[in-house]
Amino acid sequence: MIAAIAFYVFAAVLIGSAALVVSSRNPVHSVLFLILAFFNAAGLFLLAGAEFLAMVLVIVYVGAVAVLFLFVVMMLDVNFDQMREGVQRYAPIGAAVGAVLFLELIVTVAGWQFVPNVTLHLASATPAGVTNTAALGHLIYTDYIFLFQAAGLILLVAMIGAIVLTHRERGASRRQNIGVQQARTMANTLEMMTVAIGAGSRQTGILRPLPPPARPLDDHDDHGHGGHDDGHGHDDHAHAGGH
Amino acid sequence: MINQNWILALPEIVLAICAMAILVFGVLWKRSNPSFPCAMLALASLLLAGVLALSAPLGSAYGGLFAVDHFAVFMKLLIVAGAGLSLILSIDYNVQTGIDRFEFPVLILLCTVGMMIMASATNLMSLYIGLELQSLSIYVMASFNRDDLRSSEAGLKYFVLGALASGLLLYGASLAYGFNGSMDFAQLRAGLTSTNPPAGLVIGIVFIVAGLAFKISAVPFHMWTPDVYEGAPTPVTAFMSTAPKVAAIALLLRALEVPFGHLGQSWTQLVVLVSIASMLLGSLAAIGQTSIKRLMAYSSIGHMGYALIGLATNSQAGIQGVLVYMVTYVFMSAGVFACVIAMRRQGLALEKISDLSGLARTDPMLALAFAIFMFSMAGIPPFSGFFGKLYVFYAAVQAGYWTLAVIGVLTSVIGAYYYLRVIKVMYFDDAQPAFDARSPSLSFVAAVGALVTVLFFVFPAPIVNAAQIAASALFG
Amino acid sequence: MNAFLASGPGQVLITLVETLLLLVPLLISVAYLTVAERKILGAIQLRKGPNVVGFWGLLQAFADALKMIMKEQIIPTGANRFLFVIAPMLTMVLALMAWAVIPVTDGWAISDINVGILYLFAISSLSVYGIIIAGWASNSKYAFLGALRSAAQMVSYEVSIGFVIVTVLLCAGTLNLTGIVRSQSTIWFVVPLFPMFIVYFVSALAETNRPPFDLAEGESEIVAGFLVEYSGISWGLFFLGEYANMILQAAMMTILFLGGWLPVFGLSFIPGPIWFIAKIIFVLFFFIWVRATFPRFRYDQLMRLGWKVFLPLSLFWLVLTAGVLVFMGWLPHSA
Repeated sequence: MIAAIAFYVFAAVLIGSAALVVSSRNPVHSVLFLILAFFNAAGLFLLAGAEFLAMVLVIVYVGAVAVLFLFVVMMLDVNFDQMREGVQRYAPIGAAVGAVLFLELIVTVAGWQFVPNVTLHLASATPAGVTNTAALGHLIYTDYIFLFQAAGLILLVAMIGAIVLTHRERGASRRQNIGVQQARTMANTLEMMTVAIGAGSRQTGILRPLPPPARPLDDHDDHGHGGHDDGHGHDDHAHAGGH
Repeated sequence: MINQNWILALPEIVLAICAMAILVFGVLWKRSNPSFPCAMLALASLLLAGVLALSAPLGSAYGGLFAVDHFAVFMKLLIVAGAGLSLILSIDYNVQTGIDRFEFPVLILLCTVGMMIMASATNLMSLYIGLELQSLSIYVMASFNRDDLRSSEAGLKYFVLGALASGLLLYGASLAYGFNGSMDFAQLRAGLTSTNPPAGLVIGIVFIVAGLAFKISAVPFHMWTPDVYEGAPTPVTAFMSTAPKVAAIALLLRALEVPFGHLGQSWTQLVVLVSIASMLLGSLAAIGQTSIKRLMAYSSIGHMGYALIGLATNSQAGIQGVLVYMVTYVFMSAGVFACVIAMRRQGLALEKISDLSGLARTDPMLALAFAIFMFSMAGIPPFSGFFGKLYVFYAAVQAGYWTLAVIGVLTSVIGAYYYLRVIKVMYFDDAQPAFDARSPSLSFVAAVGALVTVLFFVFPAPIVNAAQIAASALFG
Repeated sequence: MNAFLASGPGQVLITLVETLLLLVPLLISVAYLTVAERKILGAIQLRKGPNVVGFWGLLQAFADALKMIMKEQIIPTGANRFLFVIAPMLTMVLALMAWAVIPVTDGWAISDINVGILYLFAISSLSVYGIIIAGWASNSKYAFLGALRSAAQMVSYEVSIGFVIVTVLLCAGTLNLTGIVRSQSTIWFVVPLFPMFIVYFVSALAETNRPPFDLAEGESEIVAGFLVEYSGISWGLFFLGEYANMILQAAMMTILFLGGWLPVFGLSFIPGPIWFIAKIIFVLFFFIWVRATFPRFRYDQLMRLGWKVFLPLSLFWLVLTAGVLVFMGWLPHSA
């Protein structure tokens, strides 16, 4: 009884929030309703005894994917009113296509008749004494290992694609090279000087930045930021020498 | 002891591992631009995969997810050939366009893995996984020239519409599964014993066909083709019009013939309609085109229409015809695109048909190759395109599909008009300044394509026999 | 009586009582963790810390709570009122929800579910929403920047946390938290998986937005990040949520690596809950110690550490662990 009530509650909230995803005016609200929909779908999975799928749905979709959706929706200044105009213009066509598909569905449901020995082919239920997760694991890593690995390749392609299409080497970026930072010693950054009282900085020779060297320095990375800017590096020396 | 499953899927596994190794090599190779060595390694791995596919034992693996039969081997070899030729086309083009990045050959390899899985898929799940692996790689490759607006648009358009098609396919697959309780082709067939399948299943088949028709750009799912063909970098267009078409046709043949072959009356009329519409649109819409890439897009729509004639007959002879057609199509298509990529003046890529005018005087060899491919595409004997059409028309007549054959012949005649117009422009119009020097990779692909196209009528037997054996595998 | 307890309403009643028995001590611990932190920080910085309210300053927590409740709640104009109010509640509720599956000792969990560790991982990956919603609903640049920082940070570190958890699961052979603790009866996982323990500890700091990873609220750059517009008890809920999350992460570390309620040195006459609490306190002390010791990370350093150090390291250790387990035949076959 409780399971039945829970099912109808989850299902009703799922459908309601799915409708609100499409119809809310504020895109951030849409994403939040999407998250609510995911939660209720996870609840339905739980009721069906698929606890692993329920948790993975929450972890992957709510914990990672929807966060990125939210990111994008919050960051981008999309003019949703303009898009809505387009929706209104094409609504009749969309409604017509939807109506046809719906009619087809009705035909399908009306003519619902299973192939005679369909139950023979149905996937077997979780064996007794084995948790849902372990049963899934047994299947995925034995019978379906090929598809599992191929699905991994799909993700690899997606990753390569994202990098190929968006990553740009920016010559001007200053990368921090921690190894170089750690490796630098006191000798090549710090110089102790005894400065006579009243001596100007010209006399002591601690004037910084240094005049440009005769030939360009080979190792740009002797200073903290590993950047490409010589003047910046000499500033560091100036601080070290001055104290 | 190695499991038989892994031996059967060895070509795919080796190719995937090679792709990942090349990817790592490309990332770690800092001394120079790694794109050329990566492309060479990729070619070598394609060759290796081809050899492995040829020598792989036959059988069924992974509990019926994956089958290696003569049909799969035939299609895999054709896929590898198409991918290899397109990869060769890309080497110099990518350098000249400034998109010579090592990920390109990697993506081609992963895409080829997907296509080989498609050729071997005997389960709705492996079908879908293979299809997605292939499609996703092509989406990325289509927008590979990311600084070019048209290329980005092509990739995005293909992605959005392709995702829709995948959705349709999945919907159909879920209906087929829901009515039968199995995703395995053999079990689907075993379950569908009655000659009168439930309506829901027919709707499922319709959606599967719609999803696959999108991938082979058959009417009415062809809208994306001209724009994507035009916008994508030309080697990618060449790739899209060869190997993936073969893989999608292979999938369509197997997914319709194996589980639903005995329910022919439920789907042949659908294929007939799609075929007629594709042939008509392919020949009529191409007439007004001025861009050679758009022309080739409509041409490929038409060619898919002809190939589908063979499927519509639902007979072994028809399938054999489709296979022969695909062989001829892959080689002439790769050849045409080699010629299109050669159209470059002062470093600028050209794509207008008018740019070809007087080519016979400035570059007679290129013009000759172009003319051979155009004649072959138009279906004029003795070139290979004629034989491809001959086999499918013959199968249609044998199976009693007279209307299909007649419409096919008529649209071939209409199509001949625009193919011959290209030849007329090359041979009889005023000469324009010569193109830039051709790179040897293009000459190689054009020569291979031209040789196969011209010499097909001399030695048709190996290919025709292989196609016959392959086709019989689906009806065994 | 027994018949009633076995019936539906009886079960609900039992669960309610169990929940109260867990939550009330938990909330008191949260309150005293704040005091403890100030005391420890004071000791490290050679000062006294709170010592005025009550004996040794022990009533400080209640004084603070009273202050927060009495303060005025300000909702900025232009803020999304509903989300602005809901965000701190979400943070607090999520931090408490996770406790439903934590086994305090053998058999003492409100809900001993099969996928307990996944539940914990799911809940802890949700805590980013409280922050990101707060940042957006505040309608303020600083708050939004803080929220974005925190979202990116949490998503990044979740990846390596996931790998660490998988490594532990490989050794334990079960997703059930009680089972994970029981599988450590011969040796605590902290010994064979010590590098993973370190990765988890640092990632837990990042996941709870604790110093040195508290960039989401970096006072010196973005005032106080997502907290900037909050006041009164809604601020207090965030504050308490952070500390509740700390205790939760400490409990997770105790279960995954430190053998949960299992005793050390055969001191089994001390009951399991005491051991469990003692281990949590031990980990929490490290949380606070780190806060007093390390300066705040720069944002690019944070991302670098997450993606370029922890991710490959945890991936490598995962493969290594799996390899060793298979090679030595130590894989636990639970099913």
